[in-house]
Amino acid sequence: MAKRYDAIIIGGGHNGLVTAAYLARAGKSVLALERRPRVGGAAVTEEIFPGFKFTMFSYVVSLLRPEIIRDLDLPRHGLHILPLESTVTPMENGNYLAAWADHDETRRELYRHSPRDAEAYDEYGHLMHFMARAVKPILSMVPPDPTSFAPGDLFALLKLGKHFRGLGAERLHALVKLMTMSSADFLDEWFETDVLKATKSASGIIGTFLGPRSPGTAYVLLHHYMGELDGVFRAWGFAKGGTGAVSEAIASAARSFGAEIRCDAGVSKVLVTNGKATGVVLENGDELAAATVVSSLDPRRTFLQLLEAGDLPDDFVSDIKRFKFRGSSGKVNIALDSLPTFTCMPDGGPGGRLHRGAVSISPSLEYVERAYDDAKYGEFSRRPYMDIVFPSMIDPGMAPPGKHVMSIFVQYAPYKLNGGWTDAKREAFGDAVVNTVESFAPGFKSKILHRQVITPLDIERITGLSEGNIFAGELALHQLFFLRPAAGWAKFATPVRAYYQCGSGTHPGGGIMGASGRLAAMRILKDGT
Amino acid sequence: MSEQRYDAIVIGAGANGLVTAHALARAGKRVLVVEQHQNPDTTADIGWVPPRVIQELGVRNLLLEEPDPWLTAPLPSGGALELSRDMGKSLEAIRRISPADAVKWPEFSARMHRLASVLEKLYLAPPPDIETRDPRELARIGGLGLYVRRLGKQAVIDLARILPMSIAELLDDWFESDALKGALGALGIWHLKQGPRSGGTAFNFLHHHVGSPAGVFRPARSNVTQALAGMNGIEVRRGARATVLAKNGRASGVSLDKSGETILSPMVVSSADPRSTLKPVAIELDPEFARAVGNIKARGVVARGTFEPETTPAYWNLCIAPSLDYLERAYDDSKYGQDSAAPYVEVQRTNGGGGGGRLELHVQYVVPGTHEGLTERVAQALHARPDQIALQPAHESLYHGELTLDQILFMRPVPGWSRYRTPIEGLYLCGSGTHPGGGIPGAAGRNAAREIV
Repeated sequence: MAKRYDAIIIGGGHNGLVTAAYLARAGKSVLALERRPRVGGAAVTEEIFPGFKFTMFSYVVSLLRPEIIRDLDLPRHGLHILPLESTVTPMENGNYLAAWADHDETRRELYRHSPRDAEAYDEYGHLMHFMARAVKPILSMVPPDPTSFAPGDLFALLKLGKHFRGLGAERLHALVKLMTMSSADFLDEWFETDVLKATKSASGIIGTFLGPRSPGTAYVLLHHYMGELDGVFRAWGFAKGGTGAVSEAIASAARSFGAEIRCDAGVSKVLVTNGKATGVVLENGDELAAATVVSSLDPRRTFLQLLEAGDLPDDFVSDIKRFKFRGSSGKVNIALDSLPTFTCMPDGGPGGRLHRGAVSISPSLEYVERAYDDAKYGEFSRRPYMDIVFPSMIDPGMAPPGKHVMSIFVQYAPYKLNGGWTDAKREAFGDAVVNTVESFAPGFKSKILHRQVITPLDIERITGLSEGNIFAGELALHQLFFLRPAAGWAKFATPVRAYYQCGSGTHPGGGIMGASGRLAAMRILKDGT
Repeated sequence: MSEQRYDAIVIGAGANGLVTAHALARAGKRVLVVEQHQNPDTTADIGWVPPRVIQELGVRNLLLEEPDPWLTAPLPSGGALELSRDMGKSLEAIRRISPADAVKWPEFSARMHRLASVLEKLYLAPPPDIETRDPRELARIGGLGLYVRRLGKQAVIDLARILPMSIAELLDDWFESDALKGALGALGIWHLKQGPRSGGTAFNFLHHHVGSPAGVFRPARSNVTQALAGMNGIEVRRGARATVLAKNGRASGVSLDKSGETILSPMVVSSADPRSTLKPVAIELDPEFARAVGNIKARGVVARGTFEPETTPAYWNLCIAPSLDYLERAYDDSKYGQDSAAPYVEVQRTNGGGGGGRLELHVQYVVPGTHEGLTERVAQALHARPDQIALQPAHESLYHGELTLDQILFMRPVPGWSRYRTPIEGLYLCGSGTHPGGGIPGAAGRNAAREIV
């Protein structure tokens, strides 16, 4: 064996890269290993059709932790986030609901649907802002272990209890409601306009195998207030150059601190001697030695694939086997000859701003709920919920002049499809998506130059994410905080000494947030290995 | 206007109302109970009656029914899965449909029983007040925490992990047999407008397991309401619906609907549901509180009724819920405002009340106001004739508020008002709409009386 690294990071997704960057910044010798030819994991930009660039999987940025942007000086490494300002929801009767960048305009738009809801909207917004602020510190803390009697854990628990009591009764109650209710029930308490509730609750189901009426979805409504600016009700951003540019920026920062990043270098096994990780074996058979090994892969692969059966205690293994993935979303990437025209807003609104924002196919609660019903019984949604953006409208570099790219996030497409996914099923799924868009934008089909359909199985094959779950493990209440990925092992350490986890399958997980990667790096540095 | 002859008026002569009334009478109060129905309810009370309620009030003539086998679930291959109070017998029955499930049954039963014991501890006292600064209340919360920790690390993890889960996820973790999962899963959706895949249904399952022995997942049945009604010490007026009267933020008594009579009393305790109790006095309420009351989810999903087959069946408790998917599909219909095309049906044979062999029905999911063709569909599920089935139309939730995680403990009946009080001085709540909720007859009534006294 040649060089012995201080740390080897398995997986070059954004969390792995964040960990690598922080460790390198602290002076460690770091090697990050990526199986694919490029870094990014599920945050990649690829030219799938000549001239047309796509953010293949994840397509928006809203939660990237500001401290990471600051610490790693990401703007200097090319990170540039462009706002996605509006959301338009076409309705089946030809009407629409829009949320614009301008708060007052959004209120006027809501007023058109319901004066009462326009009134409630501000109060709702204030509450959610406050709640998001109250929850945010949790994203930057290492979860305490409530089963432990260690003074540190007890102290952290007390502190947490104090933090929540400090919110005051009314907000504490709202928090309990948010953590336990379905988004539909929660929104029912505030609003009467169905399409508003449908569009808001749709953001609560992204990446889950739940419907808007399933308890546990209300909490996700908060996420959308965490990255919010200036009262826009779904503040999402789009990275210039696609989400791949986010990964490239983090990689560039990591390199600037001295980290080495190697692509086409899949890891087949973590070497463990006497209960301690000592290095990794690559798919080509090479062995690399390291004082610390960190996996950014999801828990299933981190523990069940990279380790030998005997390396872990049995009850931990059964906890990891129980950890749920159940991928539920797909993606359709389309190269367009020209922009589609939506019936509800034929001119695309003043300045064509419909295409500059998101188009949400969530015309009613029943529509979204029925989409879920299909998936519950093992079929893809016949009329799916979709979140559509036109990246080339925000960043013209994504498509040839005059042409466009369209990114369609689709739900639901269950990983475990009845009879399994086949090429024919994939195309049928793509057809369902295209036909549904066509019903809101007649003539759309004739504008399609190319299409790429990605099923959860494809996501698993390409990125490695188990069952194609985009959050590396479902973001359900019983898989969050000190239970992510397993009770007693939510602090980034693992039962194998010198082996750490830093991916989205750990707290707080999900989205292009980078928090897991950063917290893991802090923990590793604290442990002093 | 009559003079004040009563220290307290209790609305409703169900188990909770009567427990509160008797407890107040024991404390030396002159109590009147007003009940809207003329005839005493003779249907069985379903749910565990806390022994402390019985002891404290000295209830006699209580008939507790513990059917054995506690569940009979027909199998698609013919025959039935029979689950008994005897662990060995249940094990044998489960082994016949799935040896793997039989192996897991004892540990599953023990783990669930331990979790239910935590709930039991929470249920026999007012919910913990998480905003308190009172050292005694803080000590009580600390004591609860300690109790849970003493149950062991696994119990702490289970509690945090299982309560928000769906019953389907919980059962899928343990078992493979559809028949077993369907029969157990039904308890998770009991009286809830949620399907087995909805989060929080694992809690509902545990709620209804409180008080049952390990390995028994159907609540006990009793005649507790009748037994309480037979006791002396309180006055009961039947056949009159009472409306709360309040003035300047104080309860002043009730008015009776038909006669228009007013009965004065400085204290009114209602076991009726919180919404209908508070509606007539809404003008006295703070708008925030009124809004919270309006937001109580109490969607009725159960139709009760009776079944009269030609011969008394061999089972005690028949459950038609062949799989979790069956229950989920039954729920799907109700999401879109329809009765289940294939409903979950349970037949409970009881000895209490009007003599032997009475068969009571629990049919879920139904939507109040519909029920077209429902009798026929229930008959079909039971392989019976429609004329043998008599269903009563469904009302709002019999639990006066669904037992979802956002409506329990200090959130029940409305957040911040879980101590049986209301913003109206002298007006209290003591029914299933308050902690610990439905399915545990007498518990809310007892807790309320203790708070009031």
